Amino acid sequence: MSAYAALTAAGCRAQVRDRTTLFFTFAFPLLFLVVFGLIFKGQAVEESGLTYLSYTAAGVLSWGVANAAVFGSAFTLMQWRADDILRLIRMSPAPLSAVIGSRYVIALVVGAVQSLLFVGVAMLPVFGLEPASGWPWLVPVLALGVTTFLLLGVIVGSLADTPESVAAVANFLMLPMAFLSGSFFPLESMPEWLRNVSLAMPLRYLNDAVSHALAGRGDSSDVLVGCAGLLAFAVVFGAVAAKTFRWTRSS
Amino acid sequence: MSEEEAMASTAAVRVEGVSKRYGDRLAVDAVSLEIHRGEFFGLLGPNGAGKSTLVEIMEGLRRADSGAVALLGRSPWPRDTTLLPRIGVQTQSSAFFVRQTAHEHLRTVAALYGASRAAVDATLESVGLTGQRGVRVEDLSGGQRQRLAIASALVHDPELIFLDEPTAALDPQARRALWEVLRGLKAAGRTIVYTTHHLDEAEELCDRIAILVDGRIAVTDSPHHLVSASRAPSRLLLPAGRLDEATAAGIAGVERVSVQGGSLVLETHAVGPVLTAVDRLAGLDGVQTRTAGLEDVYLDLTAEATTHDATTPATTTEP
Repeated sequence: MSAYAALTAAGCRAQVRDRTTLFFTFAFPLLFLVVFGLIFKGQAVEESGLTYLSYTAAGVLSWGVANAAVFGSAFTLMQWRADDILRLIRMSPAPLSAVIGSRYVIALVVGAVQSLLFVGVAMLPVFGLEPASGWPWLVPVLALGVTTFLLLGVIVGSLADTPESVAAVANFLMLPMAFLSGSFFPLESMPEWLRNVSLAMPLRYLNDAVSHALAGRGDSSDVLVGCAGLLAFAVVFGAVAAKTFRWTRSS
Repeated sequence: MSEEEAMASTAAVRVEGVSKRYGDRLAVDAVSLEIHRGEFFGLLGPNGAGKSTLVEIMEGLRRADSGAVALLGRSPWPRDTTLLPRIGVQTQSSAFFVRQTAHEHLRTVAALYGASRAAVDATLESVGLTGQRGVRVEDLSGGQRQRLAIASALVHDPELIFLDEPTAALDPQARRALWEVLRGLKAAGRTIVYTTHHLDEAEELCDRIAILVDGRIAVTDSPHHLVSASRAPSRLLLPAGRLDEATAAGIAGVERVSVQGGSLVLETHAVGPVLTAVDRLAGLDGVQTRTAGLEDVYLDLTAEATTHDATTPATTTEP
């Protein structure tokens, strides 16, 4: 078996066997969707004219996927360094592309399963989401979103040395972003300066692109601007991640 | 010189004038040593003497500030993927892929090295973990984890093996069983670099040892030479009550007399004459002789270097 196949298999087994992470990756965002979906059933978001549910579905999807990518890569990297797995890999002849590739594929698969689950539930008759015509855009948009937030997770996982500090740093970054990027509250209801602040956050671009692709909000330029924004953040995060990466705790 | 001779003449490990500084502390200070192919080499020293740093420099995990290292004739820094398959490194016994069974973990490690599945089963067997192959790594006992960490270093059949305190968490049976595994590796011509605090183990297994004190090599030699060259006295143990202390102290050649654990202990450098005298005075029934071991040499060497400013060494003779 190749190093890539073995690492991917081990990563998948670890993912499926971890109930806590499964809950926070799949069930927790779904909870938001169900609760908000039932509370605001049939209501429309002021100004946009779209149902609140289509709005929530897009927000929960972009936030859920971004969150899982950040936490997944940050925890794994911190744990691998703390447990000396990085040292084991460093002392083996396995190409680093196999290691990075296996983690990337696992993150993409997690994102794909999340997307199918969230969109599938939102389309149930109770909630009644009807995907917009641009929905195939979700595939490249979410893949790019996973990439950008995975790289952010690598930075967090390189800076933090304990599970507690990973959770603290990742939440510190992701929670304000969730509220300010329009994932949970419509940006339209925020003051203009706050809307401008959100332009400095990668989740804003993911959310805008997903909103158009899934719910038909805005126009197709939202998808293109969203992708360009995510790509720019991915390049910056990638460069910082390469700088901050450490093989062992002390070096 | 034929190619084979050239191969054999390349040392397994060659360290030349290696130094490493952390801030204003010199962790490794101009260390040079050569480990031959097929040698079982022990690296000893107190905590903080620079052992880990030196080993990590040898492994290529750290870069020396100055000096050169060659493993099997090649530099371990930067990462050289043609050299790494020939080297096995025992990591911490926490270095396991999470939520895998022992077999799944070792299979993953084997795949990193391109080793076969048959090698996984054989290696688990050699460290006595066949019965635990289906147990999650998180549920293994301390000793089992340690053995799995050693298996992870051996699964790809490396020529040069670095082991760090491999018997630390093992019970006496498992420790002896591991010694057999290690002797088997040596018999198969592998080179082993072994760090340990167990001096009996070093004496039992190592062809040569180096003792590292304050970042420098204090001595490099075979345990046998070190012990025979040592100035530490031998000890005669007599059952209590056989001889009174004053008489014992009066025997020519006895340097020190004490009572320890129900025995009268006589320290001497002249075992023969003292034994003859004891035989004449009290008979030799139940008398035991203990010669100086590697531990005495080790304590002697490390004390010299670390207690310059401490109180007088514990070698004073009391009446």
